[in-house]
Amino acid sequence: MNKVLFFAHLRDAVGEDFIKMDAAGKTVAQLKELLKEQYDLPRFDTVMTAINEEFCSDDDVIQEGDEIAFIPPVSGG
Amino acid sequence: MLERYSRQILFSPVGEKGQEKIRSKHVLMIGAGALGSGNGEILTRAGVGRLTIVDRDYVEASNLQRQILYSEADAAEKMPKAAAAERRLKAVNSDVDVRGIIADATAELMEELVEDVDLIIDATDNFETRMMINDIAQKYNIPWVFGACVGSFGMSFTIIPGKTPCLNCILKSLPLQGLTCDTVGIIAPAVQMVAVHQSAEALKILVEDWDAVRPAFVSFDLWRNQYTSIKMTRAKDEGCLSCGTDRTYPYLDVENQSKSTVLCGRDTVQIRPPRKQEIDLQNLGVQLRALNYEVKGNPYLLSVETKDNRLVIFRDGRALIHGTKDMALARSIYQKILG
Repeated sequence: MNKVLFFAHLRDAVGEDFIKMDAAGKTVAQLKELLKEQYDLPRFDTVMTAINEEFCSDDDVIQEGDEIAFIPPVSGG
Repeated sequence: MLERYSRQILFSPVGEKGQEKIRSKHVLMIGAGALGSGNGEILTRAGVGRLTIVDRDYVEASNLQRQILYSEADAAEKMPKAAAAERRLKAVNSDVDVRGIIADATAELMEELVEDVDLIIDATDNFETRMMINDIAQKYNIPWVFGACVGSFGMSFTIIPGKTPCLNCILKSLPLQGLTCDTVGIIAPAVQMVAVHQSAEALKILVEDWDAVRPAFVSFDLWRNQYTSIKMTRAKDEGCLSCGTDRTYPYLDVENQSKSTVLCGRDTVQIRPPRKQEIDLQNLGVQLRALNYEVKGNPYLLSVETKDNRLVIFRDGRALIHGTKDMALARSIYQKILG
């Protein structure tokens, strides 16, 4: 099982701080595609992704038990 | 002089040596909105030697909820933020050489300003300018502190050239933006939380306590009670065009810079003339009044009412066209007035 966390407007789009799902074996890019099918996630391609609180790329493969976080860049200031 | 900073000096990572270092440093802050207010006040009170502030906007009533440097009088007078911030910060601490520059932070202007700058604080509201800051910082080897917020959410990351990944390593391209600012709004605590993260990093850098600099990218949501800290070592990209081995500083290329911009969170377009200008505002005001436009102004800007829009024209030829997000319409209104 994996925990997938959403921040800022992504959290609002999903309606939960996090969801549990089985994403082991998938790449980050594949997980993003899957989530885009399930939810309306605006500007999801430019989000920063972390696995277990470490920056990761779209090619990284998710392992069993990994915690994935999606953090969108925001622009205000 | 030291009595004023005694509590900060008592804090051992600063000490007297650190205080002297803070005093000898020059900080360039891009933006004087909400993040600029928070950072500007903390750094001024901390006794930084010089603080140069660049901002293109003026104070409005809707700023007062979170932009702590400004008053109702500033909004009533439509004071340019750079001028109002300079006035306020000089009153807070006359030791500090504060200089407010009323202008759009273009790559050209920032390259002129970075000579002998020790640190750049990002207090902007858009990624186009942040990517320019990022390239300038890499080109001139200057640390900078990224900060951004929207709603109750904020983020910050410290970028040390040659050491940490840069903003272009992390984002790869200019993120699309605008929507969130327009729709989500912002609460003041989110701004302050970002500003205190940035200014704490600034103090570490100014006293040269490099080991204390936070290596992680932090983000938090004060309403949802989330706080995350992400290790960024793996983000460093040797192929990055801003900080890699074959760097080109893509965001300093004039071709990549827009001349008109829809301002974040507002029904406003900014138009910037292709070349620097010096407009005689008083004379222009007289001409426009003769044409039956309703004109108000102060020494820094003219506010002109048209049928459906309001233009604010600055001395450098820049204008904000309120009441539209349509860049073509904004350009035509601009050209009608300024030729």
